[in-house]
Amino acid sequence: MIHRYHLDDYYIVLDTCSGSVHVVDEIAYELIGRYEDTDRETLLKEMQERFHEDPAELAECYDQVTALKEQGKLFAPDTFESMAGELKARTSGVVKALCLHVAHTCNLNCAYCFASQGKYHGERAVMSFEVGKQALDFLIAHSGTRRNLEVDFFGGEPLMNFDVVKQLVAYARGREKETGKHFRFTLTTNGMLIDDDVIDFANREMSNVVLSLDGRKEIHDRCRVDYAGNGSWERIVPKFQKLVKARGGKNYYMRGTFTHANPDFLEDIKVMLDLGFNELSMEPVVCAAGDPAALTEEDLPVVLKQYEDLARLMLAREKEGRPFTFYHYMLDLSGGPCIYKRISGCGSGTEYMAVTPWGDLYPCHQFVGEEAFRLGDVWQGVTNPAVQQEFADCNVYAREECRDCWARLYCSGGCAANAWHSTGSVRGVYKYGCELFRKRMECAIMLQAARRLPKAPDAEAQP
Amino acid sequence: MKHIQTLETRNLCESAKNGGCGECQTSCQSACKTSCGIANQQCENREQAKAE
Repeated sequence: MIHRYHLDDYYIVLDTCSGSVHVVDEIAYELIGRYEDTDRETLLKEMQERFHEDPAELAECYDQVTALKEQGKLFAPDTFESMAGELKARTSGVVKALCLHVAHTCNLNCAYCFASQGKYHGERAVMSFEVGKQALDFLIAHSGTRRNLEVDFFGGEPLMNFDVVKQLVAYARGREKETGKHFRFTLTTNGMLIDDDVIDFANREMSNVVLSLDGRKEIHDRCRVDYAGNGSWERIVPKFQKLVKARGGKNYYMRGTFTHANPDFLEDIKVMLDLGFNELSMEPVVCAAGDPAALTEEDLPVVLKQYEDLARLMLAREKEGRPFTFYHYMLDLSGGPCIYKRISGCGSGTEYMAVTPWGDLYPCHQFVGEEAFRLGDVWQGVTNPAVQQEFADCNVYAREECRDCWARLYCSGGCAANAWHSTGSVRGVYKYGCELFRKRMECAIMLQAARRLPKAPDAEAQP
Repeated sequence: MKHIQTLETRNLCESAKNGGCGECQTSCQSACKTSCGIANQQCENREQAKAE
């Protein structure tokens, strides 16, 4: 399967199954589009009539396409289906990442919070050290030969239980040598409780921090308010700036959420840049259809245009020596994931689980509080194998809709939680999210092309 | 005239032979927490990835 698209100066042909990316001129673009269903003579004649190109040139172009096909870089068949689930089967029972919900409470009352202000439809609670320690022991015990273990401190607002976070990090670090494991910690915070102690700790221990900021003050303060209804922008931005400045180049993400209120989210990204942040992530809101914050069909073209304009802004700023990163555009075409990773899904419920303050295990943070998805707990392990199997069976071939999608090896079938929210099944497909994802991939690959080939193939032929 | 320029990419078919070590980051864990993306994950076995 191939996917062809034209974005700005670039005609791009992706070969889905080999992962090849070809930047072509318009002639090759059209020729490749007809190659599989038209014989050589007819196709060359058609191209001649259309482009008035030297026949020898057209023949050469045709032969280039043929050569790429023979090299397995165009029209490569999908031979991976039999491997689907193989990686999961091979690593069955191995857990490598936990999302620790150290605080099911929050000091903000954000209107769009998927976690119901941190409570996840339950009671307010914070995780005790004993529960967190048991979670870490569970992770170590079930991590098999996996060396790198990931733990995200999440909430609610995790800094409302900062002492336990510090104790858990100290405990985990203390077990690294004896177990041969290496912990990578991340912290996701709304910023309200950031102080010098947090900054020092986060910059020393957290391989990544995710900082929630929606961009423009009026957009941020529309949703991200305290319990008195006051916006949080003025209070958190100076704290974020101080933390990032002190971070000394270590990873962070300024992570925004866009909703129906700001489908023009590029304006929010520009505000983040103006504030001095340059590692950015901007995510579509997760909420029920019909919620006032939910993105609508009318928002879709606006959102898609933002992604294209964002790519243009990135290129322009790179030329000016002011680069920034956007999480979804960070493709490493030559060193990215292997095919096993690409077909085996996100890992929720199998290698990745969320832990509640009470020690209950859920497939991921998005399912916490949905009792039917409870997997077990950190003492007994997984006691609901039927639910786990449902997630283990999620792979790119488990969703019929994905079979004809060129982007399936970039997303691996998408987010189970989004699928469940939109279709009632973890094996469903959140079509709106797919539209956004495909556009992001087109833009990300165009960026790669623009960086590597400042001039598209036919640009030199133009006057 | 060169009509097609192919960017250097990891050969997914080749990666079937030696991939699957499982050391890579869990997809959702880093920044988004809301949408699964695989392609922007790094391979932890970079020597292998580059060799393919």
